[in-house]
Amino acid sequence: MTEPFLHIEGLRKDYGIVTAVQNINLTVERGEFMTFLGPSGSGKSTTLYILAGFENPTAGDILLDGKSLIATPSHKRNIGMVFQRYTLFPHLSVGENIAFPLKVRRWGKAAIDARVREMLRLVRLEGFEERKPAQMSGGQQQRVALARALAYDPPVLLMDEPLSALDKKLREEIQHEIRRIHQETEVTILYVTHDQEEALRLSDRIAVFSKGVIDQIGTGPELYANPSTRFVAEFIGDSDFVTCKILSMRDGLADLSIGAGAPIAGVPVHGIATAGGTASLMLRPERLTLTRGTAPQAMPSLPAAVLDITFLGSNIHVAASTGSGETLSVRLPFGHPATAGLSRGDTVFLGFDPAGAHVFCG
Amino acid sequence: MALLTDTSSSAGAVKSRVVRQYNFAQTLPALLLILVFFVLPVLALLLRSVMEPEPGFGNYAELLGTTTYLKIFLNTFIVSALVTVVSLLIGFPVAWALAIMPSRLSTVVFAILILSMWTNLLTRTYAWMVLLQRTGVINKTLMGLGLINEPLPLVNNLIGVTIGMTYIMLPFIILPLYGVIRRIDPAILQAAALCGATRFQALTRILIPLAAPGMVSGALMVFVMSLGYFVTPALLGGTANMMLAELIAQFVQSLVNWGMGGAAALVLLVVTLTLYAIQLRLFGPARIGER
Amino acid sequence: MLLNFDRLGAWKWILLAITGLTAAFLILPILFIAALSFGSSQWLIFPPPSWTLRWYADFFADPRWLEAAWTSFRIAAIVTVLSVLIGLVASFGLVRGRFIGKEALRALFLTPMILPVVVLAVALYAFFLRIGLNGTTTGFVIAHLVVALPFSILSITNVLEGFDKSIEDAAVLCGAHPLEAKIRVTLPAISHGLFSAAVFSFLTSWDEVVLAIFMASPTLQTLPVKIWATLRQDLTPVVAAASTLLIIVTIALMLLAALVRKGLKS
Ligand SMILES: Nc1ncnc2c1ncn2[C@@H]1O[C@H](COP(=O)(O)OP(=O)(O)O)[C@@H](O)[C@H]1O
Ligand SMILES: [Mg+2]
Repeated sequence: MTEPFLHIEGLRKDYGIVTAVQNINLTVERGEFMTFLGPSGSGKSTTLYILAGFENPTAGDILLDGKSLIATPSHKRNIGMVFQRYTLFPHLSVGENIAFPLKVRRWGKAAIDARVREMLRLVRLEGFEERKPAQMSGGQQQRVALARALAYDPPVLLMDEPLSALDKKLREEIQHEIRRIHQETEVTILYVTHDQEEALRLSDRIAVFSKGVIDQIGTGPELYANPSTRFVAEFIGDSDFVTCKILSMRDGLADLSIGAGAPIAGVPVHGIATAGGTASLMLRPERLTLTRGTAPQAMPSLPAAVLDITFLGSNIHVAASTGSGETLSVRLPFGHPATAGLSRGDTVFLGFDPAGAHVFCG
Repeated sequence: MALLTDTSSSAGAVKSRVVRQYNFAQTLPALLLILVFFVLPVLALLLRSVMEPEPGFGNYAELLGTTTYLKIFLNTFIVSALVTVVSLLIGFPVAWALAIMPSRLSTVVFAILILSMWTNLLTRTYAWMVLLQRTGVINKTLMGLGLINEPLPLVNNLIGVTIGMTYIMLPFIILPLYGVIRRIDPAILQAAALCGATRFQALTRILIPLAAPGMVSGALMVFVMSLGYFVTPALLGGTANMMLAELIAQFVQSLVNWGMGGAAALVLLVVTLTLYAIQLRLFGPARIGER
Repeated sequence: MLLNFDRLGAWKWILLAITGLTAAFLILPILFIAALSFGSSQWLIFPPPSWTLRWYADFFADPRWLEAAWTSFRIAAIVTVLSVLIGLVASFGLVRGRFIGKEALRALFLTPMILPVVVLAVALYAFFLRIGLNGTTTGFVIAHLVVALPFSILSITNVLEGFDKSIEDAAVLCGAHPLEAKIRVTLPAISHGLFSAAVFSFLTSWDEVVLAIFMASPTLQTLPVKIWATLRQDLTPVVAAASTLLIIVTIALMLLAALVRKGLKS
């Protein structure tokens, strides 16, 4: 087996009595785009800062090409980073900013000039060399920061919510730039964001952070189709939850019942389930079917009363309340026959495929 | 592996403690300077007030029980209060005007304020000594206008000190007050006008109350600074209205009475720090001494 | 209405008059002294009977005046360097550090600014008598450093708090040693704060009278002490000449400060 490129092992960081992150285990392949996704305060930045060497871990190790980084000071790690805030050196021009890491590495003048031009071309800012950071927009500044971080060909590039200060349109534009640059340079990127859409758009794989631990690591589709915790299910894609009762379990599948309804067999189960205990059944709005009049025969379904119908362009969104008062959402394509003449208070049946749903315990 | 983890963990903890101590160590040169050449000498001086000539509170009894000294306390208070009131009366309209006048005009006034603040204290005091003397421009002008027959005694008395100190304190009240008035939303006064308030009512019921915190804070600052002033009172004031700072200097320099000097210093210190604490309590850290 | 200059009506003129008079009150005495320094009257009669450079000649002919000016400059220069250096290092500790008692320490560093100078002067005088520092350059420097340091710490902590440490971190990740990052990135970025710290420190020492009066000896005195001592005897026009020179230095420093500030901005 070959040595993994970047390996994080049992990482833990305590600030006094606060544990910022714990039990972080992660392997990143060379050239991979890995995103840390999670709400604010979940420990994403802390992990990144430990990688950068600004914080020392309380426990654990980081191996790059099989060698531990822990003892190497930040300035010798040869890692690139783009920060959440604009960190261009305010007294230096754009060109001098990009040249800074090269000057520190004592490159020759000609080599520096050539490299600066190359990097400006990479981030599409040719002709901005003489500008001062204060004369540039936020998006341009972050692109220069990216050029500066890539100028010395770091094996790993860290990005801590680099686009969070930009407005939505600009953000999407620069996301495309980042993708292109990742493909062109083949640099390994560790990217932090709290925006699931951004994570899904950019990443090869996503590590979902929650309360200082990684809940799950996988590609976007994997996380969407197979969330291993309720938190991941909630964070990736839309989801609604219905309380249910576990009847029995085998091979990771559970039989369960909802209210007084008929048993539903073969739902994938996560967490420690006990027969007879209550759990949450996760249903995604776009995977529910809606029928009127009689319950569908081919699949299990729940009776519900329509609460609200919202037209959202290509979709129609129906909110309905189950017998126990829990609200479920259904997303149907515009023009779906079941929506014709549907109005509030109508009784409908919401059907689903048990194998595509998930039960979370505890 | 567990061994490795353990060492790196303790190394991490040690390193952050080291960083913290390093940050504290950075303040050590300044701390040493302040402790050795500020805190220690001042405490030593205060200690002498209860140790010399013999242990006890004799110096304080004498200081607070002698009419001459009490008069000096009273005079210090009167001069400071007078300077504060005059500064405030002049400073408020000036700060108000500065806050709203076209910037081309206000730039000139600011330049004058700053030039005045940055001009050597002795130079400014000297100017008033010359202006106010018996044969000075002011007396000559007044006599030339036929307003007086004899030169007025303007220097070495209360008038001289008040003029000279007001001259020095004015920028200290105008600048902070300007900041306060600047932050008042003009729309509030428009609203007052729409509610039917006359200009005078708007001034006394809206503008002055809104500017009051700035006035009180500036006034406290000027008052505190005046209490401890030495140079201007010494040069423009008379022997009849000596102020506290001069008394302290005299105890030490002419009378070589360290006990009394220390006692007088403590009185000044306590009053100053108390007023400063009140200022802090009421208004947060003020930018005292910002030029 | 009251905060709209053009809608003040008659009040506008009242306010303008008070402001104009106050500005005149503040500037005229300074101009007056400058004018008198060129006047021929020994008794400072205004307007002067004729104009002369005699008082400047007297000033430059008297080695004691020149020596005092040189002493002032020397002390102020040393105080400036020390105050900025110590203030810079302390500010890093105060802004970046996380230790118990940090705020108390900051307050302690600023107290010399609010304490009446006369108290410090008397206290230091007593202390220096004991350790033999009265009348020495070292004594002067220490005394002025104590009152200049708060201005330095105030200016530098102020800019350092406004400086995003991530920028320095970025320089470190670019490969610069932490010290190199501070010197090549942080210091240039906060240079305007360092500059105001230097100007405040210099002027604090250069203009300082009260401490100087106590520290001075017959052989070592600063310009303000010399002026003070002269004034206690008579109002000679030489003081007017010396004062005018001081004013010129002040204006030069003000202009320099304005220029540097402008230069740093662009
Ligand atoms: N310097 C610090 N001191 C104390 N607690 C900290 C510090 N930095 C981060 N934390 C805590 O660690 C947790 C994780 O923070 P962070 O890594 O910044 O989260 P994220 O980047 O995911 O928003 C938070 O609870 C935060 O309060
Ligand atoms: Mg973060």
